[in-house]
Amino acid sequence: MTDVRVTVNGATVSVPIESNWTLLQVLRDRLGLKGTKEGCGVGVCGTCTVLLDGQPVSSCLTLASNADGCDVLTIEGLGADGRLDPVQQGFLESTAFQCAFCTSGMIMATKALLATVPDPSDEEVKDYLAGNLCRCGTYIEVLQAVSRARELARSAS
Amino acid sequence: MANVTIGSSVRRADGLEKVTGSAVYAGDIERPGMLIGKIFRSTLPHARIVKVDVEEARRLRGVVGILTPEDVAALPHPTYGPFLSDQPVLALGKVRFVGEAVAAVAAKDEETAEAALDLIRVEYEELPAVLTPEMAIAEGAPILHEERVWPHVVWSDLKSSDYRPGTNTCSVFHLRKGDVEAALASADVVIETATRVPVVQHAHMEPHAALAEWDRAGRLTVWSSTQNPSVIRAQLAEIFAVSHSKIRIIAPYVGGGYGAKAHPRIEPVVAALARKVGRAVRIVLTREEVFLTVTRHAAAVKIVSGVRRDGTIVARTVDALYDTGAYADSGPRTAKNGGYAAPGPYRIPNLRVESSAIYTNKMSAGPYRGFGVPQVAWNFEQHMDELAAELGMDALDFRLKNIVGEGDEIATGERLHAANVRECLVRCAKAIDWSAHPAGASRQRPLPRRLARGKGLSCHIKSTFTPSLSLASGRMNEDGSVVIYSGTVEIGQGARTVIAQIAAEALALPYDRVEVVLSDTDVTPYDQSTTSSRSTFSMGNAVLGVAVDLKQQLMALAATQLEAAPADLELRDGMVTVKGSPGRALAYPDIIRARFGAGLGALLGQSTFQTEGGKLDPATGQGKASAFWFAAACGADVEVDVETGSVTIRKMAMAVDAGRALHPLNCDMQNEGSLMMGLGTTLYEEMLFDNGQPTNPTFLDYCLPTFLEMPTEFESILVETPHREGPFGAKGVGEVGLPAVAAAVGNAVCDAVGVRITELPITPEKVLRALSARWEIEAGR
Repeated sequence: MTDVRVTVNGATVSVPIESNWTLLQVLRDRLGLKGTKEGCGVGVCGTCTVLLDGQPVSSCLTLASNADGCDVLTIEGLGADGRLDPVQQGFLESTAFQCAFCTSGMIMATKALLATVPDPSDEEVKDYLAGNLCRCGTYIEVLQAVSRARELARSAS
Repeated sequence: MANVTIGSSVRRADGLEKVTGSAVYAGDIERPGMLIGKIFRSTLPHARIVKVDVEEARRLRGVVGILTPEDVAALPHPTYGPFLSDQPVLALGKVRFVGEAVAAVAAKDEETAEAALDLIRVEYEELPAVLTPEMAIAEGAPILHEERVWPHVVWSDLKSSDYRPGTNTCSVFHLRKGDVEAALASADVVIETATRVPVVQHAHMEPHAALAEWDRAGRLTVWSSTQNPSVIRAQLAEIFAVSHSKIRIIAPYVGGGYGAKAHPRIEPVVAALARKVGRAVRIVLTREEVFLTVTRHAAAVKIVSGVRRDGTIVARTVDALYDTGAYADSGPRTAKNGGYAAPGPYRIPNLRVESSAIYTNKMSAGPYRGFGVPQVAWNFEQHMDELAAELGMDALDFRLKNIVGEGDEIATGERLHAANVRECLVRCAKAIDWSAHPAGASRQRPLPRRLARGKGLSCHIKSTFTPSLSLASGRMNEDGSVVIYSGTVEIGQGARTVIAQIAAEALALPYDRVEVVLSDTDVTPYDQSTTSSRSTFSMGNAVLGVAVDLKQQLMALAATQLEAAPADLELRDGMVTVKGSPGRALAYPDIIRARFGAGLGALLGQSTFQTEGGKLDPATGQGKASAFWFAAACGADVEVDVETGSVTIRKMAMAVDAGRALHPLNCDMQNEGSLMMGLGTTLYEEMLFDNGQPTNPTFLDYCLPTFLEMPTEFESILVETPHREGPFGAKGVGEVGLPAVAAAVGNAVCDAVGVRITELPITPEKVLRALSARWEIEAGR
């Protein structure tokens, strides 16, 4: 076992890992951050999306050792002082979830999208989020949520 | 009583947990000393098990125990299956599909459990496998279940089918009405259509997960990703011969199911493994394992109809083979429900239906959104277009001439109530601008060079699980707030929200004064299942009954306290008031305080709701099949690329009769879900097999619709025909839209390019092949 040192949601921790462990395993099984879910295990469904140094990654495919020295942001790290992040607020107000197993990943991907493209068109949103599957078919409400999140972020800044 | 919340899309009760990632699912739960389980699975579709050697695996450091077929054979009841108890907890004697559980390991962590699987050795003697229903019913076919048990847990509706133990025919549903042969002989036009649908998978985002723990007193608790805690409890009680009171099933939030989680999946093996090792054990399946666990029934359907020149349908025969896989699972009911749905929502006086569930060497097929109807609707609604074309009639006019309305007799002989399929159809036609469309000419008109546009319609009626039983209870606290105990599982449909709305409305309370405690068999009363779009109707009525019980208690107490007759009282804004004298009123907390002479206390309410019917005559399929009927329609406006064969959905409309839409947004979202799953199975999805081996059981190879596959435009239409027995007139809508999707698209494709695709999915390859055939025929003319 070797130690990996990561800053997760602002707190720096040192976790002993095996070389084949994934970031998802570390988050869920070692750090107890259960908000990130596993859907497919092969990096296709987007359910396990977290931000690694601001970039969206499939945590099921990211080796924990590759996160050494990085900043990791998960769904638990969003929002501050008891307030939701604008993206979460947008998803809440637009009811952009049903079973919600995909929701954490969807929200994290949206977070990354709005950080790079503050004012995306629906087509850009669809392209960006095409790697996040929702079998409940809540795509229409997610598009609305992204647009609402954009408004909220704009009015907050 | 003023409407408080009914009919309004209130903020969902599960929203905050879900957008913060704090909603708990079965796979998130941990128990002290918990072990991780993994399942060793068969690699052959059909084989006798000669030897299972787990010795080397057992010696691996970190392995705590291994469950073997020998352990399972020693259980009081080694098999399960809610309809036919034909599925062993682990394969006994032989394996019947690739992926069948043969052994299960409990280890300190996932890596150890996985490593142990590699050390298990199983020796097989391979048997010939039957891979399709046609192979399975052929003379001399290998038999999957040489010794077959009779229906074990017999739901009364399953007595309507015919069982054939010792053959590969699991069940046959018969429906007979009038004189089909004579009517066909007298018809002006007779046509036949034959269609197929492949195996598809539910692909719920949350893989099956279960955690089982036995305490020292022999009591079992299972946290499971299930739609059906009460059936899991009954099945585990039977397997282990323990009383129901010694088993507790908790269903936390469930990450989608669409039918896949309606029956026991991994709970039996997890519970048996936990019992063997004496520790808590959790198993979470990988995505590949989910594909091996349960699927939708593939089916081959043949329909023959006779019509008169004036467009009256006089007779229809239906022959449907549903591939139920290695174990019955939902097969008998799926084949039955699909069987009596296949005549379609039309008045047809002469009918003959044979609808069978057939065993093959594949994983079991089970309940799937639409429950047997998508397979036949894909045929009968394209069949309607073929008939209309043959008669030279407009496909909408032809449907409307034959469509069933209020009070009409349907295939099973019962009378239709509050399932306005006509309005669903008409509104979909309007949504896609059908009347502006030149109908039925596509076969004759020359193809455009590149993009061909077409429109299609489809409609159906569908039954619900009948008879149906839901119990609920509730409590009004000393402060007037309410807690409802409901066994309905929150699987994404918004059950917590709608249940709270119903109770709030009936008790004249704001929506946020009602909390809903979800499925935990130690806490919530019996509920049959969270399936069949039954919860709004059945649980809704039970919850309404709880509210009425509480209301009557409040009124009786207030009558004494206010010195008024109970008949003169009403509930208004959290108070019992004397009608016409708003000043004479008591707030709920005051009533409860006065009742107990103390500041603390509560009123308890309870209710039982049961529907009648379900039992049909086994020879004729006549009777009352369903407590209520769903109605839905779809309209598709598509563009087909003549050069590539690809189909683009310009617009889809889906209309469902909700009875009364208690939460319109939830209803629309169910339509969106039905639409996207429907489009997936219509255009993209198919599980592929090579000699019984699944070849695409991953999301890399089995492609689900993404944001990019959304139709350019979607219109969800909620028709509201109040049902006399529905809570506030409401019915469910969860699965009703899906069966209409495929045929609407198929009809639109045919309208666009004049070729009929008979086998789902409608891939570009199939369209191009059909177009080539058309061109060859035309060139040869």
